[in-house]
Amino acid sequence: MTREVSVELQNVDKIYDTAKVVDGINLTIDKGEVFVLIGPSGCGKTTTLKLINQLIPHTSGTILVNGEDVTKLDAVGLRRSIGYVIQYIGLLPHLTIEENITFVLQLLKRPKKEQHERALELVETVGLPVEYLKRFPRELSGGQQQRVGVARALAGDPQILLMDEPFGAVDPLTREQLQNELLSLQEAIQKTIVFVTHDMQEAFKIGNRVGIMREGKLVALGSPMEIINSSDEFVRNFIGHGALFDALNSIPVKQVLSKDIPTAREGETLTDKTAKNGWENIFLLNDQGVCLGYVPVENLDSTRTISSRNMVPLPRGCSPDLSIKRAVEEMLYNGRAWIPVASEDNVFQGVVTFQSCANLQT
Amino acid sequence: MEDFVNAWAYFLNRWEYLLETLLDHFVLVVWATLIVILIGVPLGILISRAKKMQEIVLGTVGVLYTIPILALLGILITIMGIGTRSALLALVIYGLLPVVRNTCVGINQVPEKTKEAALGMGANNLQLLMRVEIPLTFPVIFAGIRTAMVMTFSLATYAVFIGAGGMGRVIMQGIRTYNTGMLLAGIILVVIATVSLDRLIGYVDHRVKKRFSLVE
Repeated sequence: MTREVSVELQNVDKIYDTAKVVDGINLTIDKGEVFVLIGPSGCGKTTTLKLINQLIPHTSGTILVNGEDVTKLDAVGLRRSIGYVIQYIGLLPHLTIEENITFVLQLLKRPKKEQHERALELVETVGLPVEYLKRFPRELSGGQQQRVGVARALAGDPQILLMDEPFGAVDPLTREQLQNELLSLQEAIQKTIVFVTHDMQEAFKIGNRVGIMREGKLVALGSPMEIINSSDEFVRNFIGHGALFDALNSIPVKQVLSKDIPTAREGETLTDKTAKNGWENIFLLNDQGVCLGYVPVENLDSTRTISSRNMVPLPRGCSPDLSIKRAVEEMLYNGRAWIPVASEDNVFQGVVTFQSCANLQT
Repeated sequence: MEDFVNAWAYFLNRWEYLLETLLDHFVLVVWATLIVILIGVPLGILISRAKKMQEIVLGTVGVLYTIPILALLGILITIMGIGTRSALLALVIYGLLPVVRNTCVGINQVPEKTKEAALGMGANNLQLLMRVEIPLTFPVIFAGIRTAMVMTFSLATYAVFIGAGGMGRVIMQGIRTYNTGMLLAGIILVVIATVSLDRLIGYVDHRVKKRFSLVE
């Protein structure tokens, strides 16, 4: 696969008076990747982001966007060609949602008709009802406003999106939802995204690669798993002891499914003394592959016939895309060491157990 | 009570003269307000951009504002002579403070994040001003204009001292000729006109804010 570079920083410094806020950063961001910059407050991650669209001019070094030196480009034109998302307070309060979404198109003086069509298209992309176009930002919830922020950044169809702690101001549940939406949106649009956050879980979940910054320097760079396995002391301290557990937040259960589960149809008889693989339950499926419930081996009578009469209803299951962390939480709540997994059309996929989760590293 | 009866009688007798004078008064105020807007708003925007000029300009209009009107009129007579021009200039000087200050303070109060969002999306300086800063500051600027206009309306009664027209003439004549009916008719008319003007501007203000969704 050929790597196409989207953004490149070569030895970039930003100096305010005497303080070196960004210190010799070298960074290559590939086309279509989600790159997350993370670090403690004041580490220069937001400044680095703003250097890319030249909201802040750099002191020395070279910044290339699509191979062109940003200092040689018109800064206003550059910013119009790059999507920019900040926390939801960045919506313009005196403009309707439609006017907010089409703001860049207005600046570019595109025809009114095109603006309206684009607004209709984008409001759908981010999953908001069309009626919302007529509303004002303060009439929307934080999560909805944030979706508008994303729609607005996409209006000019930029190749690059800069996102500065975009989900920092919403509640944890909404944040998780927005992250999931961003990930599925990204699958469809394949933009280059540079994402700044201070939330490690968010970084591991969203990022193809993560860069950790400290005092203006880039101290670690790699995929989430590489970062977790880093031996660097600062990195280890920064990501904390729960890092692997946090990373489980971004790995779906489908990767640790135990598929070799004893299943049976109505009326089948159990020939062996026990169900296979040491399971004490047999899962009863119908012809469509939907699991109706399970039959504990001890419930079987002398004919050893598996039937819905001696079946126990299935506990609440989860989707194959649920994170391992959530699945484990679910098991803890239920006091049961396993949880059934079913696809969207209810077809039984298998079961996740503590043991299957532990097999992740191997 | 008799005074009010006299005032009513005077009004019935001389309503043409009264309304004509009120119209003169109003024209003077409108001119003054227009000039105040034309100078005050751009000046306010300018000094919101140049922080060093801000103190000097706001200080100067603040000092001008505190000069007693009679003293100011006295000064203006020596420079420009008597007549409407001097009166107009005096009214403009008083009206400048609320407009300049509100414009400048309003623009300074637009949140940094909002400006940054607009700039980050590629707004240039003019677009930032016209599409973000002024619309967001509009209610504050409008409040300044409203203050200036209402204040000017009552201050304009002093114009009579330097030979300009307006409702001051009716009031002064009433005082000089011990005609309480005339005096009261003039005063009541000024008060009613001032309050009505304030209400009218208030209504326009509300409609404009509603358009920009700045009130419920």
